[in-house]
Amino acid sequence: MEQPKVGVFLSDCGKQLSEILDFDALTSFVKTVPNVALIARGSEFWRGKGLQTIVDAVKSGKINRVVVAESLTKISDVNIAQAVENAGLNSYLVELIDIKDHCAWPHRATPKEATEKAKAMLLSAIERAKLLEPIEKLEFPALKSALIIGGGIAGMQTAVDLADLGFEVNLIEKTPFLGGLSARVGRFFPTDDCAICIQPPSSDVKTITHTSRKCVYRSGFSEIPNLNILTNANVVAVEGVPGNYKVTIEKKPRYVIADKCVACDKCVSVCPVETSDEYNANLENRKAIYINVPLVHPQVYVIDEDACKFHDCAKCVEVCPTNAIDLDQKTEQVTLNVGSIVVATGFREFDSSAIKEYHYDDYPDVITNLELARMIDGFGPTGGAIIRPSDGKPAKKIVFVQCVGSRDRRYNPYCSSICCMISLKNASLLKEANPDAEISICYIDIRTTGREHEYYYERARDMGIKFVKGRPTEIYNDVEKGKLIVDVEDALLKRFLDLEADLVVLATSMVPAEGTAELAEILGLDLEADGFFKEYNAKLRPTETKQKGIFLCGGATFPKDAPTASLHAHSAAMKATKFLTSGKIVKDQRTAVINEDYCGDCEFCPVTCPYGAISLEPTDEKHFVARVNDLLCEGCGVCVGTCPLNAIELRHSRPSQMAAQMNALMSVNGTSKPLVLAFCCQECGHTAVDSSGMAKMEYPANVRIIKVPCAGIVRVNQVLEAFKAGAQAVMIVGCKADGCHYEVGSQKTEKRMDLAQVLLKEYGIEPERLEMFNMVYIEGAQFAEAAKMMTKRATTLGKLKLLGDS
Amino acid sequence: MPHHTKKDANMSFSAEVTSRHGGETLTACYQCGTCASSCPVARLDARFNPREIIKLSLLGEKEEVVSGDAIWLCTSCFNCQERCPQNVEIADLIYALRNIAIEAGHSPNIYSDFASALIAEGRIVQISKFVEKKREEYGLPPLKPVGIDALNKILSATGFTKPEKTEASQ
Amino acid sequence: MKSYAIFLGCTIPARQPNYEISARKTLEKLGVELVDLDDLTCCCPPPIQSINLESSQAIAAYNICLAEEAGLDIVALCNGCFESLAMANAALKQDKELKAHINEVLAKVGKEFKGTIEVKHFLQVLMEDIGLEKIKENVVKPLSSLKVAPFYGCHSLRPSKLLQFDDPERPQIFENLLEALGAEALEYRNKLKCCGGLLKGISDDTALSLAREKLVNTTKAGADCISTLCPFCFVALDIGQLQVKTKFNEVYDLPILHYSELIALALGVDPEELALRSHKVKTDKVIEKIA
Repeated sequence: MEQPKVGVFLSDCGKQLSEILDFDALTSFVKTVPNVALIARGSEFWRGKGLQTIVDAVKSGKINRVVVAESLTKISDVNIAQAVENAGLNSYLVELIDIKDHCAWPHRATPKEATEKAKAMLLSAIERAKLLEPIEKLEFPALKSALIIGGGIAGMQTAVDLADLGFEVNLIEKTPFLGGLSARVGRFFPTDDCAICIQPPSSDVKTITHTSRKCVYRSGFSEIPNLNILTNANVVAVEGVPGNYKVTIEKKPRYVIADKCVACDKCVSVCPVETSDEYNANLENRKAIYINVPLVHPQVYVIDEDACKFHDCAKCVEVCPTNAIDLDQKTEQVTLNVGSIVVATGFREFDSSAIKEYHYDDYPDVITNLELARMIDGFGPTGGAIIRPSDGKPAKKIVFVQCVGSRDRRYNPYCSSICCMISLKNASLLKEANPDAEISICYIDIRTTGREHEYYYERARDMGIKFVKGRPTEIYNDVEKGKLIVDVEDALLKRFLDLEADLVVLATSMVPAEGTAELAEILGLDLEADGFFKEYNAKLRPTETKQKGIFLCGGATFPKDAPTASLHAHSAAMKATKFLTSGKIVKDQRTAVINEDYCGDCEFCPVTCPYGAISLEPTDEKHFVARVNDLLCEGCGVCVGTCPLNAIELRHSRPSQMAAQMNALMSVNGTSKPLVLAFCCQECGHTAVDSSGMAKMEYPANVRIIKVPCAGIVRVNQVLEAFKAGAQAVMIVGCKADGCHYEVGSQKTEKRMDLAQVLLKEYGIEPERLEMFNMVYIEGAQFAEAAKMMTKRATTLGKLKLLGDS
Repeated sequence: MPHHTKKDANMSFSAEVTSRHGGETLTACYQCGTCASSCPVARLDARFNPREIIKLSLLGEKEEVVSGDAIWLCTSCFNCQERCPQNVEIADLIYALRNIAIEAGHSPNIYSDFASALIAEGRIVQISKFVEKKREEYGLPPLKPVGIDALNKILSATGFTKPEKTEASQ
Repeated sequence: MKSYAIFLGCTIPARQPNYEISARKTLEKLGVELVDLDDLTCCCPPPIQSINLESSQAIAAYNICLAEEAGLDIVALCNGCFESLAMANAALKQDKELKAHINEVLAKVGKEFKGTIEVKHFLQVLMEDIGLEKIKENVVKPLSSLKVAPFYGCHSLRPSKLLQFDDPERPQIFENLLEALGAEALEYRNKLKCCGGLLKGISDDTALSLAREKLVNTTKAGADCISTLCPFCFVALDIGQLQVKTKFNEVYDLPILHYSELIALALGVDPEELALRSHKVKTDKVIEKIA
């Protein structure tokens, strides 16, 4: 590579900065630095004429490295990088420093010291620039196909979106029929109309008007040409990388051939086996061969292999007019290659058998909201009649109990968010159908937060539904009275009520769908403490995960209502499309690289990497070496900080580059105060420094900043090197422990710095000279305070005595 | 319950309770009332309602709580604590409130008797010589000596306050 | 032969020799050795916990230390003693900070809680160390025509997280042990509800209402007798019946017998040896049914 020729561009922001900093002195100083080929001064360099100056310098070949001292580097660096790239120089050969917000503004009370610090900053930038290397753009192929796991309304909505955009979509559902919860609940709030409707696909050729929604069965959903639906199927393994996943699916036998079944129901009429119908809340039996009603998809019967007698009976085979039944079907393995995966596995009701005092397990007249929905549903086992399961008599007195297993530290501490609305919906539907019914709802709080939801609560009260503020202690079966008794205190009245009930409906907590933990394992996804899939960022990225190619939607992340699930589904579809559209994933190779000679196959780094980007590969029978996957690596450097053998480096933040910066920053003092070096993470720590400057807060100029991608990259030996270089105190400023932008860096470094303090003590250095801080962008004031505090501390402790000092 | 006029609430009472043995979980309560309906006493005696006692404590009504009758009416059956969805240790909380009340000089006279017996003989109920002698008749082994010194040392190390008998008591 | 340190508490030796006699005889017959330790004190039940919870935990821990030093697990007869000691044992084993704090106090009397022993209820020893089969084998006078309403009391079961005695909502241990004797264990309304025993002297009205409720419900279920585990429950229901007669003019004639008395009788112990005369409600009709 040719010799570095550094161009240094000094912006004085319309002569604002030259009122504080001595730009002549800065220019003179820079002139003395070796390899500086050009120095320019101007008002601004990130746009307009100033930017053109840089471009001209690059094109002329005079410079092959660019250092710009500008303000608000985070905005200006995009412009400058693009312009430099267009001019023919790799944009990673550019180094920007902010001499306004990091120097002139915060140190305006001490302009001489500020100027000295500016010299140090410039030197640091120049030394770093000399060591920069070009970073290439990598391209990874992305298959234009997606897999959606879960055929409920969220999964179906996402499938429609993706299919409409032209991708190959595979929708897989573990039960024999699509629909999920929506097929069983009948009606959704806030509209109280059918739950199983979706936006119609644009491939529905018969739609000439823009209808807002269609029932799934007539929406043409199943006929979308690029949509492949697999029911009775489960994901068992996933290999590969974003853009190119190989998914192994196990398809259980239906025993009925989809192409031949005409759904005539003859098989059901001759089947001799009866088994309890779990789909219909065990309120009735069904045959071993069956289809669910109301129909979603597919319109193909299925045999329950646990109940069926197979060849010992085979009556259905005899009677089927189209020979659609094949009792010898086997489990199939299907392999799919897809570019992205969307998880839409939803949630289910908590099993309240655990709350023994409510007797869900042994009183048949204690049911859940979902079971009640099956009763309300005209297609359901009671034809819409509300009855007591124990004796089939009509239920006139119904008591709802809220928060069963929710807001309960013994089971699910969270509020399940939708149960108040579900009970209000069901109670209102019941009361409307049976105006004589006596309905009460026992609650701790009524939560009706969404748009139109408060109206539901009003309407319920208008209809004469009673509300009791109190959580019942137990439900008791009064055999003499023939009624259930709900034992509850109305806290508002301070009165004890023994509410009589024919039917007690438990509004149970909502918990993740069965198999969530196993699926998370297969996909390499994290779960939250409540067992739901963890969103990449709860505030901004609710449908993404830290796995680039895997997305989430619907109730799989937390219980939600239909409108929210719908929004979620569209969001997931859009996110899943982003890299599929171009058919490739493009990213900079600003990634970690492992020196295989040094790698000691200790296995720390694969475990530490939050993105699963490092794998261990065998080199021979006994040894492994770690290798970084450039597609998955996010360039945080946590592995660099973790490796006990210094075997990993992060491109563009190499130890040699950081060392050069550190030494430069410490080499120009110019203040009477002790030098303090602060490693600030580019995500939060460094932005706090920015904001303290932007808000014109004051802190002393002996505090020098070195930017790192993540606090996680900082090694113990770099801290020691900092002291050797002249720092009297060292600060690490990172994201908050529970909010590290790279998931784990902040916490890991916290622990590492505890170790560093132990080592410092051994070296005779006061451990309090090192401290880690956690702050976010809006905490600029905290940064200024911390800087002042560390300066004071270093002053009080006095000059550091190192071995070899006289 | 009589209507109360506005008083100055002692807002640090909540902190006082949570700093004591048994009182740590006070602030977890969200007033669901499961404890009240679980309580065998609350139904029978309007003076006692565990949910109410907790609410008063959270609001800082120290005087009412420690000088009132209510906290002495708990039968320590632990049904409330067993069923509380927030794992509030309600029965233990009542002990903490009673501890505070006794330090402030309020308690039913019977507690004074228990304390006297404990300090004097290491037992909550005195065992008369007559009863001790009868053990032989029943074929029971003689009673072993009581660790009365150790007991009293522990009482004093833990700041045990012997409740005094008052006229205005249960 | 398994050995236990027996914890008698205060009320049993003071007032209920019937409990102690029947328990000792039962365990002797079934091969459990009981050791009487020196220096035990009151377990510090709820009335003392009400004065100072910390003192009570420390004294409970002190008693546990004595058993630890003797290398013996503790068997308690009285529910109150069981709860006081088992709760302290579990709490100190689980909470390091609490243990350190209490050990600071115990150091003043030269003791240290180590968490090496278990505190068991009389029924747990029967169930776990002896077992239903062995009990059945040793029954010589089956209680086959006896309908018994088992009353667990509060402090054998709750707080269940610390006591780990049985399922707090659907316990079975007492019923199983009664059935092993050949008796019929009855279900009745509010089986697990408090008898009000601890309110005696504080609010006698409430205490009596609660005791009465139990008498009503067990009678409704057809009970020949109520079986208890706790001396306070015993008093509430035994003497309580006389007080109920006075106040409400109702006669229940329902003998109250501790489980230890029933098992002693079933194992063939002569009723004359069991100090049954101390019962206020005569037990004759139960004895007749067993003979």
